[in-house]
Amino acid sequence: MIHFLQTLISGLSLGSIYALIALGYTMVYGIAKMLNFAHGDIIMVGAYAAIVAVFQMKLPGLVAVLAAVLVCTVLGVTVEFLAYKPLRQSPPLTVLITAIGVSYFLQNIALLIFGSEQMASPVIMKLPALVIGGVQIDGITWGTLAVTCIIMLGLTLFINKTKMGKAMRAVSEDKGAAELMGISVNKTITITFAIGSALAAIASIFYGSAYVYIRPTTGAMPGIKAFTAAVFGGIGSIPGAMLGGILLGVIEQFAKAYISTLWSDAIVFGVLVVVLIVKPTGLLGKKISEKV
Amino acid sequence: MAETMLKVEGINVYYGKIHALKDVSFEVNTGEIVALIGANGAGKSTTLKTVSGMMHPKSGSIHFMGEDITHTESYRLLPKGLAHVPEGRRVFLQMTVQENLEMGAYIQKKISDEDLENVYKHFPRLKERRKQIAGTLSGGEQQMLAMGRAMMSHPRIVMLDEPSMGLAPILVDQIFDIVRELHAAGTTVLLVEQNASKALALADRAYVLETGRITLAGTGAELMSSEQVKKAYLGG
Repeated sequence: MIHFLQTLISGLSLGSIYALIALGYTMVYGIAKMLNFAHGDIIMVGAYAAIVAVFQMKLPGLVAVLAAVLVCTVLGVTVEFLAYKPLRQSPPLTVLITAIGVSYFLQNIALLIFGSEQMASPVIMKLPALVIGGVQIDGITWGTLAVTCIIMLGLTLFINKTKMGKAMRAVSEDKGAAELMGISVNKTITITFAIGSALAAIASIFYGSAYVYIRPTTGAMPGIKAFTAAVFGGIGSIPGAMLGGILLGVIEQFAKAYISTLWSDAIVFGVLVVVLIVKPTGLLGKKISEKV
Repeated sequence: MAETMLKVEGINVYYGKIHALKDVSFEVNTGEIVALIGANGAGKSTTLKTVSGMMHPKSGSIHFMGEDITHTESYRLLPKGLAHVPEGRRVFLQMTVQENLEMGAYIQKKISDEDLENVYKHFPRLKERRKQIAGTLSGGEQQMLAMGRAMMSHPRIVMLDEPSMGLAPILVDQIFDIVRELHAAGTTVLLVEQNASKALALADRAYVLETGRITLAGTGAELMSSEQVKKAYLGG
């Protein structure tokens, strides 16, 4: 029972990291209708930013987090402006290939600057372990869970209650009509990339703390899993990304604990395949009718 | 002499290779109701889309309140006072009625309760359903919502694209009543309609569009008595 609870909690914690990243995928997809496959590499950049901030610039932990958020936000917005904005009228495939190109570009820039050797990432959150009813929860585990819950709550409120959030929903539903309301679609896309990248930066801090070693290709796996989570929950749906991310993390940890560490990824992606066969729009996805 | 609010001069608009609007020119004066009538595919919606910046002409010009808006981006036009209720209503189906109205007031710093109440006064049905998702509304209610949403920004001119389309006759009358009220409250109206008799009865002036060209222009009454219009649009 204790083993079960511990697995569940570590699954929730890992899942909440996936959820943070998946939110970036799903929001960008919802607003810009593109799959930003360079999103995972933003995590890698965030992790390196934290390493530089803490070990080389000797900044305190919290400032390092802010630095990582700033670097990723600026990077995300810049990539959007330079690489994706000129392709607004292009076919989706062109944009998709461009995103993959950006992904390789970022990985290779990191390779040039930091080399291929893995680097240790700083442990920014030093929290005491909690023991509840015999279940021991690491500081990083419950810390991740707590912070991501607050962020997701904040994001939900932002999307549902604020003027900007509502405008984002309007753009995601009907760009033409949103423009007729005086909403700038371009500005909305920029803000979406900024938010998505900031969330990825925070995810990178937790990911670095949990997995310690960072290399230029670090972003690929959490990136692809978070993308899976976004599709799993229903791409374009914000609650879907949260649910998909958390479920994916839980399934992964249980597969590791009870079945096989080796097979855990296969099981995770197997679940995705089954979900998509049964419900092609994902768990919370809406049926999209193409307008002409 | 009323001043010209909207002046469209010789616009040519293409969908790829299809020449959708050919040298279309017309104007709307402050305080008028102007109707554009014509058959399906004549270019009525394209005309409105081009004025509101959803499309741009290859040649020709569009001036609004004396300012050249030919290539102005769509989202910059509502702040200037040009509202467009597009074909098919295009309300935000996944947002509530009230949120839709709030989006109509997006350009305002603050959403005023007074404006909301004003819309609800015109459309009591919307007030009853203000917390409902717009996708659950009937066609007539969605049309009301689209018009209410346009009212929220206090536009100088509102362009209505087929507001009566697909509605029951009693609702059509209601919608036309609202257009009349909007106009009485000081809004200039550019109305696109297939329901030519109703549109002409309401309009100060009207233009007839045929396959992308303006073929006739005149006051509502003149066109209503024109043999050509009678034959083509008023059922003999």
